[in-house]
Amino acid sequence: MFGILTVAIFLPAAMGLPVYVLGRRNIRLARLLGVGTTAAELVVTLIILGVFSYGIGGFQLAEKVDWASSFGLTYHVALDGISLPLLLIATILSFLAAYGSTDLIKEREPEYYALFLLFETGIIGVFTSLDLILFYVFWEIVLVPMFFFVGIWGGPRKKYASMKFLIFTYTGSVIMLFGFLAVYAWTSSQGNPTFDYTELVGRVGGLALPLQLAASIATFVGFAVKLPIVPFHTWLPDAHVEAPAPVSVLLAGLLLKMGGYGLIRFNLLFFPAATNVLWPYFAAIGLVTMIYGASVAIVQRDLKRMIAMTSINHMGYVLLGAFTLNGIGLSGAVFQMFNHALAIGILFLMSGYIHEHAGTRNIDELTGLRGKMPLTVTLLVLGSMAAMAVPGLSNFISEYFVIQGALRASYFFAIAIVAPALTVGYFLWMLRRVVMTPGVGARNEISLHSLAILAAFLIPLFVLGAYPGPLLDSIIRATTNPLAPGGP
Amino acid sequence: MSLIDFTPFISLAVFGLAVTPAGLLGEGKARRTIAPSISMIGLFLALGSAIWLGFSAAQTPGPGAIMSTDIFTYFFTGVLLVVAIFVGVASLSFMRGDPNEAPYFGLLILSTLGMIVLAASLDLILLYVGWELMSIPTYALTAFRKSDPNSNEAAMKFFVLSALSSALIVYAISLVFGISGSTNLIAIANTFGSITPDVRPFGVLAIVLFIVGFGVKMAVVPFHMWIPDAFEGAPTTIGALLAAGAKMAAFAAAFRVFIIAIGPFHVEWHSIFAIIAIVTMTLGNLAALMQKSFTRLLAYSSIAQAGYIMIAFATPNGQAIAGGLFHVLNYSILKTAAFIAATAVATRLSISNLDSFNGLAKRMPQTSINIAVLFLGLAGVPPLSGFFSKALLFAGAVNSSLPWGGYLAIAGLLNSGFSMGYYGWLIKRMYFDEPSDGSRIPEPRSYMAVLWAATALTIIIGLYPQPWIQLSQDAANALKVLGPQA
Repeated sequence: MFGILTVAIFLPAAMGLPVYVLGRRNIRLARLLGVGTTAAELVVTLIILGVFSYGIGGFQLAEKVDWASSFGLTYHVALDGISLPLLLIATILSFLAAYGSTDLIKEREPEYYALFLLFETGIIGVFTSLDLILFYVFWEIVLVPMFFFVGIWGGPRKKYASMKFLIFTYTGSVIMLFGFLAVYAWTSSQGNPTFDYTELVGRVGGLALPLQLAASIATFVGFAVKLPIVPFHTWLPDAHVEAPAPVSVLLAGLLLKMGGYGLIRFNLLFFPAATNVLWPYFAAIGLVTMIYGASVAIVQRDLKRMIAMTSINHMGYVLLGAFTLNGIGLSGAVFQMFNHALAIGILFLMSGYIHEHAGTRNIDELTGLRGKMPLTVTLLVLGSMAAMAVPGLSNFISEYFVIQGALRASYFFAIAIVAPALTVGYFLWMLRRVVMTPGVGARNEISLHSLAILAAFLIPLFVLGAYPGPLLDSIIRATTNPLAPGGP
Repeated sequence: MSLIDFTPFISLAVFGLAVTPAGLLGEGKARRTIAPSISMIGLFLALGSAIWLGFSAAQTPGPGAIMSTDIFTYFFTGVLLVVAIFVGVASLSFMRGDPNEAPYFGLLILSTLGMIVLAASLDLILLYVGWELMSIPTYALTAFRKSDPNSNEAAMKFFVLSALSSALIVYAISLVFGISGSTNLIAIANTFGSITPDVRPFGVLAIVLFIVGFGVKMAVVPFHMWIPDAFEGAPTTIGALLAAGAKMAAFAAAFRVFIIAIGPFHVEWHSIFAIIAIVTMTLGNLAALMQKSFTRLLAYSSIAQAGYIMIAFATPNGQAIAGGLFHVLNYSILKTAAFIAATAVATRLSISNLDSFNGLAKRMPQTSINIAVLFLGLAGVPPLSGFFSKALLFAGAVNSSLPWGGYLAIAGLLNSGFSMGYYGWLIKRMYFDEPSDGSRIPEPRSYMAVLWAATALTIIIGLYPQPWIQLSQDAANALKVLGPQA
């Protein structure tokens, strides 16, 4: 029956209409209700964290209701160690981004917060649904608000960027849908057709290898566009750069995680035989993506574009880690998604504040920024440290896990170590110009609560860096067992 | 089977014939309202009785029946009546003050009667009667703006091609009668299973003629040329009737003829449909990408959507047919409403130009939000209705034992991706571009009523598709049970 997960999924969407209707009369009310709902959502998630049992693997808090039984559809949602950190990060980031929006979004606010809440419902639905079509429904619900975010509130090239984003990701999605339909068609040829994930996991093993390969590649394309991998990544720099800063936080922090989560849940753990054939290719694509993202980031002059390229670099770790086919690499991949969301969140939001206060995002023109914004610059250093995966922050743990897992899979993947080196290179280059230069200009610091929002991103990274504790433990439990039979 | 089972047909016939003379009665205001009121009563009575009968009195027709009262009939009757009601409600504003309002509504209802007869017929002669009853009023309706050269040109093109398609259908019927000695679809199915080689070529010829004849009205490539011109020239409400009503009625006839009668014929006629389906959806979508006029864009998008429904003929298993029928239901609602939106825009702006949609969200907010939802529905974005019917249809195709099933599904999915190019582009124009003139445009209430009703249906069907999928499956089973039994 329905329970707390349903509340977590639909609370934001249910508040969307009131936010719009009441917000049209009073803009402050739109902000208050919008941010308030995301805060309430965070509270719901903390309750879920409280009732979740950490010691055991498998799905918990499951809710299963018939949805369209004639088509084999169920409303089935549940959490396990893979989805729990993503649920947590989705609500943390939504709250911080919504709060940050109060400074950075100045027009059509009622529409903005209503779409924001619809987005949050979509993203939480993606991370919790265990029915292929339900998953796809939430997957596409995310698309529509994002299209409008970039198209209405975006920068100068917003129209181009929003259309490119829509067409890339929608085409990817329908290809992914083909993979799901192929699996469904196979189950109905066996009698007892179903889209239910938990039922399918047991049965898909019997699917003939060629069909499994076709379905696996089809879903891979859909997830890979979102992740994004090279060469499907070209929508990302455009969308990230044009989107307003809080939306970039959502894009990089959450939308890309949909790709990573999908790869792990609906590809890696779903098509065991296909994965055993395809993993070296997928992992190699991840490696290429890591190094490509880092290399392209080096030559960027726009701070925001550089951060966007960092995302490509860091999401490559997720792909590589997942397809090492061992528990350590996979748990690193999941943990990396959590950490990357926070690290990229602070950097993107900061780029928005810097742009607003300094009037530019060009790294050369930002020289001497510490004279104007000393506190912001301090946070920029800390955020960059997170992105560089300096030990002491949890990013280090996840990147270490991924590379360790990759080495266990094949010594060939030792090349992966180039990627962190490049990342450190371009971040230090950026910091050298922006921070390590004599301060210029009068002090023009961003407001205190903006600084508090930025600092809030860092707290979990430091805490989990020192004590990864139950969160990492539950990830490891969730990722080790399913791999045990098929993995090398 | 009693006369009550035919209430939808009888009520349309009675009210349809009564509207025009009744419109001559009364004076002044009463004269203007009498014809629309009678029409709406007739349409709602028919719809209500079709829904009630569909739940309570649907039955498998006996041998020799020329008209069926099964769930398939009531399914199509319901869908077509919803289209007619949408068109009728929009026409309340559209035709206000027109001196020929009464004949307009009379023709609308008689054409609708033809459509539902078409969906119910189990006999080729009755099918032909329904076909003509549907077509003839639409010629007059297309030419309704008789001083407008575009309307006349559209009607002429439409008339010539439709007359040709009717002639081809008559020829096909005569060939089938020659082969089987019957005009009853079920009797034909029995003889077509064991056809002798010497009459085989005539059977093939009949199939080809049926495909061309129905294809003209179904607007599948390569018989689609008249569609954009006719939809653009006709009064936009009649565009809706042609695009959703007449087209879906032609699909109903094609379902009856191909699934029941031609089903057992041992010729690979399915492969023809597979090719037509792929070409139709691809050409429709690619052409739609290049249109500069809203009605032409809608016309090409309706061609593309016909391509998706054709998949049900190419892989005629229960699931694909159910998916096809479900898509008929969703498409009819979405497309009718999209044309009504075009009417709303056309009242004040030039609809021949997509540039007038720039920044429409600021000028006509209600129309814009509805167009956005309807277009996302047509593109197949969940959780809107169009997604579930496409998913069911494509799943049926993949599930098919025929070798082209998988390719059809891939083509359909990729086409859904392309279609986002123009659906999304129009949403971009409405919401992201700036209007050249920022003034608000009044949005007539009867248009908005249709648009909100269609949007609500699209969302409701999408959020809880179970009863609608069940209904489509029941209709598909009712159709297949009359066909050859394996």
